[in-house]
Amino acid sequence: MNAFLQVALLGWGTLCGLDLVSVPQMMIARPLVAGAFAGAILGDVETGLRVGLLFELFQFDILPVGAARYPEYGPATVAAVAAAYGARGGFGLGVIVGLVTALLGGSSLQLLRRLNARAANRSLAAIEAGDAAALVRVHVAGIGRDGVRAVLVTAAGLGFAMLARTMLLPALSVRTLTLVGVAGAAGALAAATAGTLRLVGWGRPLTWLALGLGGGAALVWLR
Amino acid sequence: MKPRFGLALLRLFAVQGSWNYERMIGLGAGVAEEPLLRDLQREGNGAAYRGAVARGAHFFNSHPYLAGLAVGATARAELEHAPPEQIERLRAALTGPLGSLGDRLVWAGWLPLTIGLTLAAVGLGAGLWAVGAFLVVYNAGHVALRWWALRAGWTHGVQVVTALRSPFLQRGVAVTSVGMALAMGVALPVAAEYVAGAFPGWARIVLGAAGASGFALLYWRVGRGTLTGLRYGLALVVLALIVGTVWR
Repeated sequence: MNAFLQVALLGWGTLCGLDLVSVPQMMIARPLVAGAFAGAILGDVETGLRVGLLFELFQFDILPVGAARYPEYGPATVAAVAAAYGARGGFGLGVIVGLVTALLGGSSLQLLRRLNARAANRSLAAIEAGDAAALVRVHVAGIGRDGVRAVLVTAAGLGFAMLARTMLLPALSVRTLTLVGVAGAAGALAAATAGTLRLVGWGRPLTWLALGLGGGAALVWLR
Repeated sequence: MKPRFGLALLRLFAVQGSWNYERMIGLGAGVAEEPLLRDLQREGNGAAYRGAVARGAHFFNSHPYLAGLAVGATARAELEHAPPEQIERLRAALTGPLGSLGDRLVWAGWLPLTIGLTLAAVGLGAGLWAVGAFLVVYNAGHVALRWWALRAGWTHGVQVVTALRSPFLQRGVAVTSVGMALAMGVALPVAAEYVAGAFPGWARIVLGAAGASGFALLYWRVGRGTLTGLRYGLALVVLALIVGTVWR
C-alpha cells in the first residue's frame, strides 16, 4: 500500500471517528459505510462491503443511547479493510485488527469525555459569566480534541493492520485464518440477533420481525 | 429562514462536540442557542444576553437530533424575558422526553430500519449503490428532523410540550418500530448467508454452533451484562487462534 492510499485511509478513518459523536452524525461512521468507502479507496469494494457488513452486525449489540459505553467500529472497520484487502485469508486478519481497534476506540471515547469535562471546568468562570467567545472556544476545542483522537485511533489501527499483514499473515495457516474469520462472523451474528431481539421486545413488532425473518429466509432459498 | 436561525441549525450538527459527563451536551446546546440570543444584545440588554448564554450552557441532555427543540424553545423564552427559573425548569423538563423520544424514533426506529434494508440490499448484491442510497435516505430524515425540532421549539417557546404531542411524532415512532422489525428480520438471514458464503462446509457448521451459543449468552446477558458482542467475538478469536495452532 503506497503512502497516498495510507493518507487517504487515515483521512477517511478520521472523518468516520468525528462523525460518531461530534459532527455531523450523518452515519458515515457506520461500519457498512466506512468499510465500503475504505474498500473503494483500496480498489476492493467487495472486501470493504464484506468486512463492513460484519462490523455492522457487531454494532447492533449496543444502542448509542445516553451515556452508554460502546466500542467504536468506524475507524476500526477502515483498519480492518486495510488488513484484509487482497490477501489470502485476509478476512480473518481483518477480524483481529478490527476488533482490537474497536476496543481501543471505545476506550479513547471515555478518555475524551473526561478531558472535555476538565477543559470546561477550566473555563467555568468565563462560561458562567456568559462569555460567548469562551463558550465557543471550549466547544470547538472539544471537536478538535475528538479529531486528534480519531486520527490517533485510525493511525493505530492502520499501523496494526500493516504489522498484521507483514508478521501475522505469514505465520498463520489458511485454516487458522478461516477459523478466525468464522469466529468473527459467529460473534457478529450472535451480537446482531441478540441486539435486534432486545430492540424489538415482545410486543407487536415481534410479529413483524418473524415475518421479516421468513421473507429473508425465502430470499436466501430462492437465490 | 433567518440567517441566525440557519447558523443555529448548522451549529446543532455539532451539538455533541464537547460531550462530557458533567454537562453532557449542555455546552453544545449553549453554542447552538447563542445566535438566537443576539437580539437581546441588540436591544442593549447585555446583562440579559450574558445571563441567557450562561444558562444555555448548563447541564442538558437529549437525543442530538431533537436538541433543537429545547434550543429553540429556551431561546424564544429568553427573548420573551421569561423568568430564569422557568427557563431552567423548561430545560430540565425536556431532558427526559427528548432523550426517550429520540431514542425510540431514531436509534431504535429510523436507523435500524434504513440499515436493515441496506444490509439486505448489500447481501443481495446491490453493492456500493445500496450504501449510497442509505446515506441519502437516512440523512433526508435526519436533516428534516433537526430542522423541524428547531423550528417547533422556536415557534412554541415555553409551550413546546404542544410540539411533543404532535401526531406525526407518535405515528413516526409506531411506523418505524414496525418497519425496523420487518427490515431487520429480512436482513439477518440474508446477511448471515452473505457472511457465511465465503466459508467451506465444515466452517459453516462451526459458525452456526458458535453463533447460536453466542446468541443465547448475549440475549440472556450471561455474566450480568459484562459479556458484550465485542468481548464474545474476541474470546472466539483467541479460541480460534489456539485451535488453529494445535490443529496442524
